[in-house]
Amino acid sequence: MAPPAEVLAVRGLSKTFPGVRALDDVDLTLHPGEVHALIGENGAGKSTLIKLLTGVHRPDAGDIVFQGRAVSFATPLEAQKAGISTIYQEVNLIPLLSVARNLFLGREPRTRFGLLDFARMHEEAGETLRAHGVRVDVRLPLRALGVGAQQMVALARAVATEARVVIMDEPTSSLEPREVETLFSVIRRLRDDGIAVVYVSHRLDELYAVCDTVTVLRDGRRVHHGRLADLDRLSLVSTMLGRELGEVRKEGLTKFTGDHHASGTRPVLEARDLTVPHRLRGVSVTVRPGEVVGLGGLLGSGRTETAKAISGALATSSGRVVVAGVPLRGGSTPAAIRAGVSLLPEDRKSEGIVPGLSVRENIALAVLPRLSRFGLVSEARVDRVVDTFIERLRIKASSPHQKVGELSGGNQQKVLLARWLAMNPKVLLLDEPTRGIDVGAKAEVQKLVDELAEDGLAVLLISSDLEELIEGSDRVVVLKDGAVVGELAGDEVTEDTLMRTIAGHAPAGRTAVRPAGHTAVAPAGHTAGATAAEEAGDG
Amino acid sequence: MQRTTHRSPLLARPVIVAMAAAVALTATSCAKSEDDASAGGKSPSAAADAGQKVASPKPGGKTCTIDAYGGEKLDLEGATVGFSQSEKEANPFRIAETQSIKDEAAKRGVKLLTANAQSQFSKQISDVQDLLAKGADLLVIAPLNSDGWDPVLQAAAAKKVPIVTIDRKINATACEDYVSFIASDFVEQGRRAADLMIEATGGKGEVAILLGAAGNNVTTERTKGFKDRVAEKAPGLKVVFEQTGDFAREKGQQVTEQLIQSKPGIKGIYAENDEMGLGAVAALKGAGKKAGDVEIVTVDGTRNAVQGIVDGWITGVVESNPRFGPLAFETLDAFTQGKEVAQDIIIEDGAYDASNAERDLGRAYH
Amino acid sequence: MAEAALRTAPPDRTRVLQWLQTYGVYAGVALLLVVNIAVTPYFLSAENFRTQAVQVAPVIIVAIGMALVIGTEGIDLSVGAVMALAASVTALYLGYGLLPALLVVAVFAAAIGLANGALVALVGVQPIVATLALMVGGRGLALVLLPQLEDLRNPGLASLGSGAVLGVPYLILVAGVLALLAAFVVRRTTFGRQLLAIGDSRPAAQLAGLPVRRVLIIVYVLCALLAAVAGVLATARLQASDPTSLGNLMELSAITAVVVGGTPLTGGRVNIAGTVAGAVLIQLLTATLIKHDLPPSWTQIAQAIVIVCAVYAARGRGKR
Repeated sequence: MAPPAEVLAVRGLSKTFPGVRALDDVDLTLHPGEVHALIGENGAGKSTLIKLLTGVHRPDAGDIVFQGRAVSFATPLEAQKAGISTIYQEVNLIPLLSVARNLFLGREPRTRFGLLDFARMHEEAGETLRAHGVRVDVRLPLRALGVGAQQMVALARAVATEARVVIMDEPTSSLEPREVETLFSVIRRLRDDGIAVVYVSHRLDELYAVCDTVTVLRDGRRVHHGRLADLDRLSLVSTMLGRELGEVRKEGLTKFTGDHHASGTRPVLEARDLTVPHRLRGVSVTVRPGEVVGLGGLLGSGRTETAKAISGALATSSGRVVVAGVPLRGGSTPAAIRAGVSLLPEDRKSEGIVPGLSVRENIALAVLPRLSRFGLVSEARVDRVVDTFIERLRIKASSPHQKVGELSGGNQQKVLLARWLAMNPKVLLLDEPTRGIDVGAKAEVQKLVDELAEDGLAVLLISSDLEELIEGSDRVVVLKDGAVVGELAGDEVTEDTLMRTIAGHAPAGRTAVRPAGHTAVAPAGHTAGATAAEEAGDG
Repeated sequence: MQRTTHRSPLLARPVIVAMAAAVALTATSCAKSEDDASAGGKSPSAAADAGQKVASPKPGGKTCTIDAYGGEKLDLEGATVGFSQSEKEANPFRIAETQSIKDEAAKRGVKLLTANAQSQFSKQISDVQDLLAKGADLLVIAPLNSDGWDPVLQAAAAKKVPIVTIDRKINATACEDYVSFIASDFVEQGRRAADLMIEATGGKGEVAILLGAAGNNVTTERTKGFKDRVAEKAPGLKVVFEQTGDFAREKGQQVTEQLIQSKPGIKGIYAENDEMGLGAVAALKGAGKKAGDVEIVTVDGTRNAVQGIVDGWITGVVESNPRFGPLAFETLDAFTQGKEVAQDIIIEDGAYDASNAERDLGRAYH
Repeated sequence: MAEAALRTAPPDRTRVLQWLQTYGVYAGVALLLVVNIAVTPYFLSAENFRTQAVQVAPVIIVAIGMALVIGTEGIDLSVGAVMALAASVTALYLGYGLLPALLVVAVFAAAIGLANGALVALVGVQPIVATLALMVGGRGLALVLLPQLEDLRNPGLASLGSGAVLGVPYLILVAGVLALLAAFVVRRTTFGRQLLAIGDSRPAAQLAGLPVRRVLIIVYVLCALLAAVAGVLATARLQASDPTSLGNLMELSAITAVVVGGTPLTGGRVNIAGTVAGAVLIQLLTATLIKHDLPPSWTQIAQAIVIVCAVYAARGRGKR
């Protein structure tokens, strides 16, 4: 079929932030009635692209042609008025205003006297929302609604503003399966009405259920575009992650030696059926002493949440964690730390370091009570511990009294590792330990993880760097949409099998350990996923 | 991202409330202040109040009669009088004021309805409307504000209820919207304080003023009266220091401490209320001065200050009379009998000095 | 790294600001002392310094507690109300003797601090809102317990207010000891270090397993207890319990002292010496203007100027 004239055409879009080339010469074309998947891993440039399209940022180079005219939006409001609406992951409406006021914000119907016409507003709001499967009293304040319903209001608002293009940034992250279905039916209706949709999500099932075309971004560049049906899941995942299928496993790219000997058979960490609403659905992981277990999966698959749930930083609705035979009280970080669990958080700057305090104070932070008597800190003992770790981890600071906020990312990460190693932990949860640090520091951290495992520590490793994950882990547990979809051990720990498992394909000629029967390409991705989670959870 | 804490908000709130309530209960049930042992003499009885003179009307002042006002004569005895107090009875002045009204009503056999606006003007308006609804034949009002009385005045006029306002005037027409206004003359109080100061110092030397709260008409009028009289009668007396003590004892103490450091030759301190004067006494004591080293004159006439005269620390106290009861009822009585009453009545303020302080200590309000 | 390179070449202005931040308050105190010695009669006397120190002592004590709270990125508006409550409770229980009365005061103050801390740490109310509630409620309770000023004659209380050891008034001694103690706690105890970490980055402190809620609650209780000490001392000095006006606007004086003293409102740092100097600076400023009989409104303007300068100096660090 001959496609109608394009509604949005983006050519050669580039954007540089200090130190980062966020978007590099990207093209994107949208036709009326097209549902377009925009995908990519963290830092690929999706958010930047959306922000350029909606007037949040200005491009450094390139053109945006909307409905045949070159445009340059100064604000999101301008973009919205022109016909490009966006709904975000987090609802960005006004919680204290009524549902109807939110729906009509900025375009309220007026009476003859220029006053707000509440009667008409309420009536129309009710109709609009019913069409989206939301039945609520539109006079209630928005915050009285559940998150899903709020999301639908945001969607209804975006659509009702006579948009020609609707951008949805992970719209399903807080929706229930039933609400996802409603969302899909709304998207289909938009398509029938000739509206173009840009759909951003990490949930492959959803993409295949609702999208026609796809653009894959990686490191700020467009690496693929075309019809989604022409690209199977495995190819999609490999394109996203930048790995060729069947590529020979490269040795020696990382500092991992690769082999560990899990001493003892009894796991030191046993996490069973961890469930967190909207985040995790019955995740189970075990790690033995001396073993490095990788957590694989795409962004948003629940890796970080699993680590946080184990460390008590994220309250679980069900499931339990046993460390060295002792069950943990859920939702308590101090309890987990006492039991020997240490978490190196993903967001180093805001959740890891205490930027205003010195290297010394940061290293001693968690272990301080052990270096104190009657609440008084023994400075000599602190000095001993701090000096030991600065030397052992080769932390480069002008002095132990330098503020941690002034160090490089790699040295900050080492300080955090020192903070935990000083606690003499049994289990180390490393969430993206090498992200954003320079090559030298990265190698050092990888080598250190190896050494720690050799010494009998149980390590759970999360990394978006496939090489790191494959070479560093003895076993890899693969997550998808908050559930375990497979586990790779021994020879199966390869990029190939990992990507196949992520994509939901059983590796050819091989039986993956616990593939969990998750191959169905069902539109109701959540239902299928839930079953899979239950099965996997039993294992 | 998720909140990483899990809290128990449902638990915390009731616990705090319960705790606070328990604490408050315990506190009052087993409290024991210093005075409990020797109770008595503490209750603000106005037994010694009897005498009260009218300083005004001056001959030729405007007057009002029931015929001019509109209304019917009635016998005050057996009538119902409503009294609306403006502020909580938490300071000596308000306590004595309310008490004086109550005592006088009891004495005359009048049925008294009272209300307290707790410093909220909207409450005072509804208070007065309530009093009218409950059948008050006459009203005595201690207004919180001067303005905003129209709704009440209309309601009272419709019922032909005579109104007397005390201690603060309302902006309305006398003998039309209300009958009379009874109050102290703050400028006169300042003048009399000046007289006491001039007498004590011999009209020569340097004196200081502890001002009241800024922007308050009482402060400005008491200052004006004092300065005018000093300029007129004793040019040798110089006001060299004027700082605010906010009508509070602690502030009076702090300012006086600075004063006696920087101006050790100061001869007298005029405090625009008793509390600041007592603060000044505390400062002088703390600095090792002896009673009588610095002459202190204050305004108000609370018992603590009069006791200060007896002890020799305070030279004189000009009274700001809070006992409006007798005068208010006298005015209402005369008015309802059809006699002529003055529109502006100035209540006579007493004064205390070494000659009468000990004798009249019981008269001072508490 | 690039980051490090950027930091090694600070422009002159930044350096001046940093110097001002750290030493500005001391320079201000020194300047006021010099000016006063030159122009204010009878300024250079032991008696005068004693007066200034006695007057500033309660402010210092309250400001120390405030500095600890601000170190956790909080604020406590209820300190003035706690002073008033301490005053009325003292009067109410003095019949049992001084010591029992002081114990009851401590219980009341701890209860207020606990309520503040629980609202902030457990319920998650913003500190400014939580303590505002107790600022209103605390003074209300104080006035319910003791509706009007009451003179106190307890000899023990009187000597606490005006007595001295070797010529140093108790008030100054207490303030000094508490300041040293607070500085010690901040520098040398586990609690102090944890307090700073929580103020600097609460999520990081939480993930590092620090007892965040416990520390926060203790900090608010300490602040209330210190305010109660100040309330009792002020009452002792006045020899009267005056819940209507005692501690009025004290929260603002304390916050001013803390900020002028170089403790940032963003938390993570507590400067006790600076806080003491900040309180002294404001005291000297007020004293100077009063001694020269300048209009009271000048005092407020002068204070405002000092605060603006302090905030301007603090800006340098805020940007990091």
